[in-house]
Amino acid sequence: MTAFTDLQLDALRELANIGSGNAGTALGSMLGKTVDISVPTAAVLPLADAIAVAGRPDELRHGIVVPVVGDMEAIVLLLFPDADARTLCGIYGIEPSTPDGRSMLGEVGNILGTNYINVLAQMVSMTLEPRPPQVVEDMLGAILESVLLGRGEDVDHALILDSSLMVEDEQCSLSFLLLPDHGGVRQLLERLGL
Amino acid sequence: MERVVRMGEASASNTPADVLACIGLGSCIGLALVDRSKGVAALAHVMLPSSAVPDPPQPHKFADLAVPALIDLALQHGARRRHLEAALIGGAAMFQLGGSGQDIGARNTAAITRLLGQAGVPVRASATGGSTGRTVRIHLDADMTITVRQAGGREQRLLGGRAGTEPKAVCA
Repeated sequence: MTAFTDLQLDALRELANIGSGNAGTALGSMLGKTVDISVPTAAVLPLADAIAVAGRPDELRHGIVVPVVGDMEAIVLLLFPDADARTLCGIYGIEPSTPDGRSMLGEVGNILGTNYINVLAQMVSMTLEPRPPQVVEDMLGAILESVLLGRGEDVDHALILDSSLMVEDEQCSLSFLLLPDHGGVRQLLERLGL
Repeated sequence: MERVVRMGEASASNTPADVLACIGLGSCIGLALVDRSKGVAALAHVMLPSSAVPDPPQPHKFADLAVPALIDLALQHGARRRHLEAALIGGAAMFQLGGSGQDIGARNTAAITRLLGQAGVPVRASATGGSTGRTVRIHLDADMTITVRQAGGREQRLLGGRAGTEPKAVCA
């Protein structure tokens, strides 16, 4: 069991807030549109519940994984419902389930992930580097469990920092999750003096 | 009634018309055991090859503990050991994340296959590997049909129906 105090969860939520704010601004300038960001949630959940929170496990999602390496290991995961991925790619006149579409979604992941991670790294004085994004189209449950277990370690609980981004004038929103390693969360909190 | 078996959980049934399901398997394995003559099925959602501690709270998370525990669960529901047949579903590699988690799906598949061999339970069908997620359902109907579905695809029969008519293993 991993326990975080309310104060620690608040601090992590604030990091997520600043990170996703920065990321949303960057996506907005790429699209030439305003991007709104919801107040993030920070929750420590048993793995099975973590999937249930994100939706039904057999729902189709476009998933973009941005591995983060450096002083802390983490994964940034973006999840688009199919209709939202179509809307986003449609701004550029392309279909999501094509090589161009996957490339576009990967680039969105790159921009969001890099800007999120950069601001996080500055705030906590860490060196963090995003790896190239990987794009898949699959069942929500399969994407999440593969990412949550991707390090091959026994994890009972996942810390999930979840923000929603909404593109103005378009019916398009996405889930933005930061999934730090267990050790990584402790490091983050230490740097914040918590 | 459909019973969804979530990560690290297991379920068994001998009630006709029940369905046991693992929905959205990625690197995890849906380990299905059936005694078709007795109409008993058991399903575990296995996450990792082996446990670091001897007595974890959720034994079905780990292949080394899940295989004997699931056999016991099936026997408790009226299955006979020498009639047990297994099917493996999942174990995909959807992402290349590096580190110790590399090939976790393949290692899960190998661990369960080896442990079933040691326990003398034959693997009759498998849909493992590749890079796509899967959903498995065991239908406790007259044929004890096991079906597999990939994202956006149809349910395909993996095991069940008349003896000798099983399709070849579905590997992506």
